[in-house]
Amino acid sequence: MIKGRYDDENLKWIPVLILAVYLLPFMIKGATFSYKYYLYVLNIAGIYMILTVGLDLLSGFTGLMSLGHAAFLAIGAYTSAILVDQAGLPFELSLIITPIIVGLFGFVIGFPALRIEGMYLGLTTMGFGFIVKRLIIAFRDWTGGSAGLQVSKATLFGFTVSNDWNNYFMIYTFAIIAIIVARRIVKSKLGRAFMAIRDSEQAAQASGINIAKYKMLSFFISGMFAGFAGVLFAHTSNFISTDHFDILLSIYFIVMVLVGGVGSIYGAVLGTLFIVLMENMFIPLFKDSLTQYVHLEAGDFQVFIFGLIMLLFIIFQPLGLYGMWLKMRIYWKLFPFNPRKRFT
Amino acid sequence: MSDLLTGLLQESLSGIALGCIYALIALGFTLIYKATEVVNFAQGEVMMVGAYVNFFFVTQFSGMAGGLNGWVFTAALLGSIIFAVLFGIILDYIINRPLKDEPVFSIIMATISLAIILRSLTAMIAGPISLVPVSPFGDNTIKAGGVVISVLDLAIIICAFILMALFFFFFNKTRWGIAMKATSADAEAAQLMGIPVKQVYRFVWVFAALVGVISGVLLAPRMALLDTSMAYLGLKAFPAAILGGFGSIPGAVVGGIILGIIETVSLGTLSFHFVWIKEINDIIVWIVLIAVLMIRPDGLFGIAKVKRV
Repeated sequence: MIKGRYDDENLKWIPVLILAVYLLPFMIKGATFSYKYYLYVLNIAGIYMILTVGLDLLSGFTGLMSLGHAAFLAIGAYTSAILVDQAGLPFELSLIITPIIVGLFGFVIGFPALRIEGMYLGLTTMGFGFIVKRLIIAFRDWTGGSAGLQVSKATLFGFTVSNDWNNYFMIYTFAIIAIIVARRIVKSKLGRAFMAIRDSEQAAQASGINIAKYKMLSFFISGMFAGFAGVLFAHTSNFISTDHFDILLSIYFIVMVLVGGVGSIYGAVLGTLFIVLMENMFIPLFKDSLTQYVHLEAGDFQVFIFGLIMLLFIIFQPLGLYGMWLKMRIYWKLFPFNPRKRFT
Repeated sequence: MSDLLTGLLQESLSGIALGCIYALIALGFTLIYKATEVVNFAQGEVMMVGAYVNFFFVTQFSGMAGGLNGWVFTAALLGSIIFAVLFGIILDYIINRPLKDEPVFSIIMATISLAIILRSLTAMIAGPISLVPVSPFGDNTIKAGGVVISVLDLAIIICAFILMALFFFFFNKTRWGIAMKATSADAEAAQLMGIPVKQVYRFVWVFAALVGVISGVLLAPRMALLDTSMAYLGLKAFPAAILGGFGSIPGAVVGGIILGIIETVSLGTLSFHFVWIKEINDIIVWIVLIAVLMIRPDGLFGIAKVKRV
C-alpha cells in the first residue's frame, strides 16, 4: 500500500502548538510587567521565521547557498513601502503583489545560479546583496536614500494593526501559514525535485528533472517568502533604512538555518527562535553579570558569543537543534538498546 | 585630453597598489583553496589581526628603542611573522582538523564564524578607539613624468610580486609544493604515497596566515586610521580571487590588479566625466564579477572541473 503524505508524522500536536502560539502573549502579559519588549522580540523572530523557512527551501533543500537574503528582505520592505505609501495601494494588495515582485528578483539572481555553483554562488549572492543595498540608496527619490524611510502602519480589512500586541497576532498568523505552505512544498513533487537536485544534479537530470526550471523555481519561492517577510517587516517596524539590511544580517539568516538544522522546516523555525531570543534576551542578561568583573564594549561581546556558538554548533552538532531533538527521540524510542550504532 | 590621460595613468598606478593588496589577500584564499578546497572567509580578519599585532610590536619596540627607526620596523615585522606562524597553526587546529570531511557549506560557515569571532575579539581587546598607524617609509614619494607614486605603494607592489613569484616557484618546483598539489588532487591517495597530509595542511594554513599578516602590515600605513572595519577589505578581495579563478596563483594577482584599477579609476577621473558612476563605485567590482561569472563560470584563469559520476 502506498503511504500517505504525512503517515510518518504525528499531526495531533500541531493544533495544540498553534493554540499555544496564540495564547503565549496572554501568558507573557500575566507573567511579567515588561511584556511589550518580549512581544517585540517575538515579533522579530516571527518575521525572520518566514524568511528563514524560505531560505531553508533554497539552501537546505535545493542546496543553493545564498549569502544575500537580507537583500530580498530589503527589496520586499522597500517595494511594499513604496506601493502602499506612494502609489496608494491597500496593504492587503501589497501583501500579494510584493512577494511576486521579490520572487521575480529571485529569478534575476537565479539566472546566473544556473551556471555558477557552490561557493561561487554564495559570493555572487553576496555581491547581489551589496548591489541591491547601493541601488536602494541611489534611487533616493523613492526610497529616501541613506536617511531611511518612514512607513505607515498596516491596515488589514479596515483594522489598523497599531502596536506590538496586534502585530504579534498578525505576524504569527502569517508565519503559521508560511510554515504550513513550506511543509506542503517539501512534501510535494516540487520538494522532492529540490532534494534530488541537492543530492546529485546528474542523477536528478538523468531522472528527468528539469534542473534549470526547478532551480529558478527554488529562487522564486524563496524570494517570495523573503518578500512576504519584508512586507511585514516594513509595516510593523514603521521605519526602514539600508543600514539594517547588512551582509551580517544575511549571515545571521544562514546561521539560523544552520543552527536549527539544514534541510528541515521545523529546524529553521527553531533556529530562528533560538538565535533571536539568545541575541535579545539571554546574552544581555549574561553580559550584565559579567560586566561586574571585566569592562566590555556594548556590541562586541554579543557578536563574539554569537560567533562562538555558531562555531561550536558547526563543529560538535552539525545537524543542528532539530537533529538534536531527533536524536533524543530515537534514544527514547529504542531505550533499552544501544542506539549509538544508528549514528555514524 | 592629456590631463585625462595623466589622471588615468596616475589612478591606474595607485589602483595597481590597491590591487596588489587585494591580490595578497586573494593569494591567501587561493593557497588554502588549492590544498584543502576550503574557502577561508576569515582571511580579511587575519589581515586585520596582523595589522594590529604589528602596530602593537611597533609601539612596544619603539618604546624600548626610544624612538622610531628602521630597526624597530624590522623587528616588528619579524615579530609579526613569528606571530603569523603560530596563528596559522592554531587556525589549522580550530578550523581545518575538526571539519575535514564536512560539506563545503559547513566549512564556509565555520570560517565566517571565525571571522566574526576574530573581529569582535580584536575590538574587545584593542578598544573602540581607532589607531593611527605609522608608515616605515614616511610620506616619501617618487616622481616620474607627470606621475607621482609613494614609496609605500611601490613597496606594496614589489612585495606582492615577490610573494607571488615565491609561491608560484614553491608550488611548481619544490617537493613540498608538489606534495600540496597532490594533496589537493586526492588526499587519500597522497597519504598512501607517503605524503604527510596533516603537515601539508598545517603548512598551507601557516602560509595563508603569513600572507594575511604581511598584507595587513603593508596595508595598515596606507589607511588613515586602523580599526576593525579593515577586515571588510577581505570581502572585497573575494571578487579578485574569483575573477582570477580560485586556485590559480597568477590568476589571484591579475584579478586583484584588475579590480584595483577598476575601483580607483572609476572613483577618480571617470567620476568627474560621468556623474552616475559615483553612485555605483563601491559595487562596480561586484557587477564586473557577476558579469564575468556569467560568461566564464570558473573565472578568467580557472579550469572547469569535470565531475565524474
